[in-house]
Amino acid sequence: MTEYLIRRVLQSVLVLFLITILTFALIHAAPGGPTQVFLAPGLSPEAAQIQAHNLGLDQKVYIQYLKWIGGLLQGDLGHTFKNHIPVGDILWPTVKNTMILMAAAWLLSLIIAIPWGIYNSTKEYGFSDQTSNFISYLGFAMPTFWFGIILQQTFAMKLDILPLSDMYDMDKQGDIGNLMLHLVLPVTVLSLGFLAGYVKYSRASMLEVLNQDYIRTARAKGLKERKVVFRHALRNALIPIITILGIDLPILVGGAALTESVFNWPGMGRLFVEMAVSREYSVLMSITLVVSVLVVIGNLVADILYAVVDPRVQYGRGGGSAA
Amino acid sequence: MRKNKWVSSFTVFALAAVLIAGCSNNKPSDSASPSESPSASPTASASESPSAPPSSSPSEGPKDGGTMTISTFSDIVSVNPIFINDTASGDIDALVFAKLYDLDRNANLVAEPWSIAAELPNISDDNKTYTIKLKNTAKWSDGQPITADDVIFTFDTVRNPDVGAPGISQYDKIEAINKIDDQTIEIKLKQVYAPFQFSLFASITPAHILKDVPAKDLKTHPFGVDPAKTVTSGPWMFSEWKQGQHITLNKNPNYWGEKKPHIDTIIYKIYADQNTEVQALMKGDVDMTQAVPLTQIEPLKAKEGIEVILEPGPTYEYIQFNFKDENFPDKYSPFKGQKTRQAIAHAVNRQGMVDNVLKGSGGLMNTPFLPGSWADPGDKATNYTYDAEKAKALLAEDGWKPGKDGILEKDGHRFSFELQYNSGNSRREQVAAIIQQNLKDVGIEVNPKGIDFATWIDQNITPGKFPAILLAWSLSNPDPDAESIFSSKYFPPAGQNGGWYVNKEIDELWVKGQLTVDQAARTEIYHEIGAKISVDLPYVFLYQYGLPQAVNTSKIKWAEEDAPESSLAYGYLFHAINWWVESK
Repeated sequence: MTEYLIRRVLQSVLVLFLITILTFALIHAAPGGPTQVFLAPGLSPEAAQIQAHNLGLDQKVYIQYLKWIGGLLQGDLGHTFKNHIPVGDILWPTVKNTMILMAAAWLLSLIIAIPWGIYNSTKEYGFSDQTSNFISYLGFAMPTFWFGIILQQTFAMKLDILPLSDMYDMDKQGDIGNLMLHLVLPVTVLSLGFLAGYVKYSRASMLEVLNQDYIRTARAKGLKERKVVFRHALRNALIPIITILGIDLPILVGGAALTESVFNWPGMGRLFVEMAVSREYSVLMSITLVVSVLVVIGNLVADILYAVVDPRVQYGRGGGSAA
Repeated sequence: MRKNKWVSSFTVFALAAVLIAGCSNNKPSDSASPSESPSASPTASASESPSAPPSSSPSEGPKDGGTMTISTFSDIVSVNPIFINDTASGDIDALVFAKLYDLDRNANLVAEPWSIAAELPNISDDNKTYTIKLKNTAKWSDGQPITADDVIFTFDTVRNPDVGAPGISQYDKIEAINKIDDQTIEIKLKQVYAPFQFSLFASITPAHILKDVPAKDLKTHPFGVDPAKTVTSGPWMFSEWKQGQHITLNKNPNYWGEKKPHIDTIIYKIYADQNTEVQALMKGDVDMTQAVPLTQIEPLKAKEGIEVILEPGPTYEYIQFNFKDENFPDKYSPFKGQKTRQAIAHAVNRQGMVDNVLKGSGGLMNTPFLPGSWADPGDKATNYTYDAEKAKALLAEDGWKPGKDGILEKDGHRFSFELQYNSGNSRREQVAAIIQQNLKDVGIEVNPKGIDFATWIDQNITPGKFPAILLAWSLSNPDPDAESIFSSKYFPPAGQNGGWYVNKEIDELWVKGQLTVDQAARTEIYHEIGAKISVDLPYVFLYQYGLPQAVNTSKIKWAEEDAPESSLAYGYLFHAINWWVESK
């Protein structure tokens, strides 16, 4: 297991390294550049040249990359071009804000979706199953920003019982209770989107397992249905769900630019859009890196969880991974 | 050269406007007239001044205290006046830095009680030397006096090409700046240059903080970015900046002016979505929003206690033609005939754009000068009414004949061109579609093409490589001089005449306008330019526009003479020092 982990981590580092090269090349290949955005159009070409030089933008792209990666290895994410603010100062608060929002929505939807999906698998096409189907369609089909606007109109404007947007009231910065109130609407919007998928996955996954021979055997030997479902079926059914969760983990920071915009949540999705418009290379690279790291971690965690959930899965020398 | 700006900040806004437009029903409106709230302009003037918007009942006087929350769509970059090149930073600058001179409602240079200068500049008989007297009371927020050294430092820094200040061209006519004493400066110009007076409408930066910073490091200096390191001079201070969220400005306890601000705290709150921004205004989370999306005007107007100020701002949109043959696929510019350009002006339904796209929040333009400003020639300029028949006749006179597919042809060239604009700007998308339809009616094929703004500026606008464009100028400098946009001395890359337009007669008039200091004589020159340019049409001038400002006037109060002034660049905060907050 340890050896396997080391191998996977090393692989991941290589993957991340390749991602940075690719992203750096792509971002720099896009026409227009940071100077286009903050230099006045009337500025003479010489003055523009001086600015590009001061910012190191006149160097070859690979040199710029080496400088960037060199800084990164020392923990320096670089500075913005337009106002020389350390990227970390801008990035980490938004990562935190997005994680608060997304983790709340994700956990809430998991807590509801998995038990609900399991229950529905035992009562196929019952009332509860039909209800969840309806909600799933709604969740899949409804654009999140539109749903967000409807919630805002209803609960913030008409009923006036919840805040319209932001993380805190202006005069209650940092107050946890105030944060909770502000979370209600965006979390509702995002949870609905997650919920739709997760209920369906867990239901389908359970149904598949419940039709297996060993479940029939378990039932045949007279076990209580409860025991059949939780002891025998659930563990196996969780494997595909874990895969999905692993894949979805990066959503925690990738955020939902639209939902963040509608609720004016100061998160990373919004930051990425803003920084793409102004071509802030260092910020864009850092965001890409953070999301990539989470993709890698998400996959790794999923792989480890397989082994936890299913003892047949073994990693390491001679183990041969059977899943 | 003057400091003009292509309107890029609006492109960012437009990203969201598209989203909003996607879900709101666009009712065609035969809309309300733009001047719904006319009122007498307090400073009587020959020129028509955009009217003062609603004001409070005069019975209650100003009160001290309270908080005003302003919403905005974009975060600031830096409030260091030397580097300001975006409207958000300019807003904060206007509140936290005192300017050498200010502008009155009609864009005249004035020494207000809150200006650093004591009186208007004394101009020498040869019109080349400006002597400026400063108030001896002005102080920085750290208690240091504001002196001639600060003014000289500011101008010298902006003039230095190593600094990379966006305003550099405003000061390129300066020969020398001399300090006479602590409160007196003398600026000598290389030549007579009438627009120079407006270069004195400038925020001053503190020499005692920045004078030892090497020029090329100024851009990365924390002054202007870190509130703790930003010494200011205005009624409010740069107290807190939470990036992407809000900026807090507290009253400056050391403010030196005779008139003190009434409002204790101004919060500048950043919204990512303009629909949310408008809802926040309605809910009372914010008290004023500077840019209401056109689709949101009607619901806001219906809301009690909120006033929408529809007068257009100092920005105008235009179609620019390219006169250089290489910029067309068949190496032939179809725009060379003056009658052809006039035909296009007649063919385009500009009033329809103002009514339907701008929902009445705009006004027609016939020249590059803002309607109502002293340079505006009024009736002396040719106004092209929407008249497809006249357009067809003019095109025929210019030698265009219908081809097989109904599209006009001349010398084997089909009249078909690409009209570029920045993608994501919903207003320009709509206007481009109208132009396409209007010109199709007279036999011209238009292919609208949206391009990402940064890419577009880089690849097409700056090098002057485009067939035709739809774009706008923001006239942040109130002087009408626009030589660097229209003169054949200013072809790309150094100048902004990207259409390669040549008119020697008008070229000379621009120079004459710069050399004439006498206001009456100068006015005549710009009227002549306006009249000539409206006939020759390097552009089809479309309309003056600006996103409407909306204010919760049950909370934010001002006397009539201090009301916001849409026609000025930062006029939505005009005389904010005299505003007050009515507590409920």
